[in-house]
Amino acid sequence: METARRQWIYAWLMLSPAMALLILFTHYPAVQTIVNSFYSTPRGRRKAVWIGLDNYQTLILDDVFWKVLMNNFWYAVWTIPLSILLSLAMALWVNDKIRGRGFLRMAYFTPTVLPLIAVANIWLFFYTPGFGLIDQIRGLFGLAEQNWMGSPDTALYSMIAVAIWKEAGFFMIFYLAALQTIPPSLREAADIEGASRWYYFRRVLFPLLMPTTLFVSINAVINSFRLVDHIFVMTEGGPNNASSLLLFYIYEVAFDYWDTAYAATLTVVMIAILILLAIGQFFLFDRKVHYK
Amino acid sequence: MTTGKSIMLRGLRKAWGETVSLKGIDLTIPEGKFTTILGPSGCGKSTTLRIIAGLEEVSAGTVEIGGEDVTSRPASGRDIAMVFQSYALFPHLSVAENIIFGLRVRRMGRAERDAKLTAAADMLGLSYLLDRKPSQLSGGQQQRVALGRAIVAEKSIFLMDEPLSNLDAKLRAEMREEIRDLQKRLGVTMVYVTHDQVEAVTMADQIVLMNQGEIEQIGSPRQIYSRPETLFTAKFIGTPPMGTCSARALGIARDDITVGIRPEALVLDQNGPIRARVGHVEYLGADAMVECRVGDETLPCRISGRTELTLGATIRLSVARDDLHAFDSASGQRLDTLPPEFAALSAAQTTAPLGSHASSTER
Ligand SMILES: Nc1ncnc2c1ncn2[C@@H]1O[C@H](COP(=O)(O)OP(=O)(O)OP(=O)(O)O)[C@@H](O)[C@H]1O
Ligand SMILES: [Mg+2]
Repeated sequence: METARRQWIYAWLMLSPAMALLILFTHYPAVQTIVNSFYSTPRGRRKAVWIGLDNYQTLILDDVFWKVLMNNFWYAVWTIPLSILLSLAMALWVNDKIRGRGFLRMAYFTPTVLPLIAVANIWLFFYTPGFGLIDQIRGLFGLAEQNWMGSPDTALYSMIAVAIWKEAGFFMIFYLAALQTIPPSLREAADIEGASRWYYFRRVLFPLLMPTTLFVSINAVINSFRLVDHIFVMTEGGPNNASSLLLFYIYEVAFDYWDTAYAATLTVVMIAILILLAIGQFFLFDRKVHYK
Repeated sequence: MTTGKSIMLRGLRKAWGETVSLKGIDLTIPEGKFTTILGPSGCGKSTTLRIIAGLEEVSAGTVEIGGEDVTSRPASGRDIAMVFQSYALFPHLSVAENIIFGLRVRRMGRAERDAKLTAAADMLGLSYLLDRKPSQLSGGQQQRVALGRAIVAEKSIFLMDEPLSNLDAKLRAEMREEIRDLQKRLGVTMVYVTHDQVEAVTMADQIVLMNQGEIEQIGSPRQIYSRPETLFTAKFIGTPPMGTCSARALGIARDDITVGIRPEALVLDQNGPIRARVGHVEYLGADAMVECRVGDETLPCRISGRTELTLGATIRLSVARDDLHAFDSASGQRLDTLPPEFAALSAAQTTAPLGSHASSTER
């Protein structure tokens, strides 16, 4: 009895430093954010006052909000499936017994090691009108110069390409790790039965990779809202918010316009979206995932 | 139903860079028979089997199945089914789906597929487990599922790589019989890899004994037991294995010969020509194993459990002529005929003392 209680006390004492930090820097700000979204922004000597749902009303009428939300939607729609598919393809490839696969694995993983800011700088060089790598190659075929980041039609897609390039290598590592746990005898058993490569992938490999796919896709969803560093370096959301995303807009509202209450409101909306997506994914996948 | 096909390996070699794992295998596996490939770990059994299956490419040589050269044919075109040591069941598929995996690949009609599944499941006693996942089965049940997959494939040749090594002793004995029965019933050609000589001896029509990438001997269990062609075979087959000692220890003046005598062939005999001292005695109930010291070497001897021997006592032993095996010490090869000096050893009535040149008291 005594020792049991003492162990409890120990346990709590051990946990308390981490817990204090977590509460102080994660839970408290989160709650505070929700609270702030119901108040006005304090300015000068004017204190924050309770304004109920006014901030949310503003949000519904805010064209820029809807614009960045749509941008973020397309950003997610392209980056999530493409980065997952690409990472799976790369993992399958470098998992095979090919010559120089060590080098290939490293090459694919490099974008992940680089900070997104550095990646952005590399891509700036690719995109630069006239001098950039892409335009130089286009020039070989006699195609005209193109301002990839400066044109509203292509700015968002330029950002999407960078994000996919950055993320695929990261996800590949998870797929590669999962592939290595699948015994080669399964492939051999399927070979003996005459299963084609594609049949084996569809009926065996892909189902066995489902837990990884779930994990990776949740990460991809979160990243599609979170990965905005390159936008700061490359387009700053422009032109005319064509490449702005929700998180980037939140940053602008909070630290360029200092409208902290409205920024809090936007944050609440973003977190709500993320939670809904994560829950949806779990329910969608759970029935289909085979856990070992 | 299916009928077996013969397999012929000619001049088979396999090397991975520097490591040579098969150094030229010539082997005929008769159709419809149970052949075990036996040998110590690392001798190339699995490699041989995987080459027959088409899972491994040959470095040189040819593989023929049913008279056709299949050396460059993929695994699926060789009319073989295989049971892996690890069973290789698909963990996300039910037992039923695992068994009919190959039938689905071949797009067999549903009715036919179900009929085959039911027949195989009945044969193996798996009917009540069809909806389970492999992880919910015991080792023996998983083994049966792997067998089921091989059965419904209706191939002419079954290849098995140590299929029982993950099972406990009792289950192993059961499955041994079951697999043997199955092979007889289906009439397929079975190639069964094992490093357990008991398995090989009890199941096989033909044993292929391998050592370091080469074949030591091919023969029926009886042949291999009663007439080992090499010293390696002699020491590998039999529990406990054959005892060996130099000819000189038995009082024969030949340095180039090693003598082999099975423990059960060495009998206590008051007038026996072999004089020995009793070393360690291991009592096993029905019988006992005695370490007999001859010269400074030892020969194991199996005696009745009722006989009591005291440590260090001097005993006399004899051995029937047919139970004497002589091998060339350098090459390990069996000597086809016993040299004349050996006559003394098997002449049971002799009273010649050990150590002298016993030829004086020939019959
Ligand atoms: N993929 C490989 N690469 C290099 N060497 C290999 C490979 N597979 C097998 N070998 C070597 O070939 C030799 C024979 O291996 P094999 O697996 O056929 O032995 P085995 O008789 O089946 O042994 P065990 O009873 O332990 O299964 C071994 O020395 C092994 O190290
Ligand atoms: Mg092996």
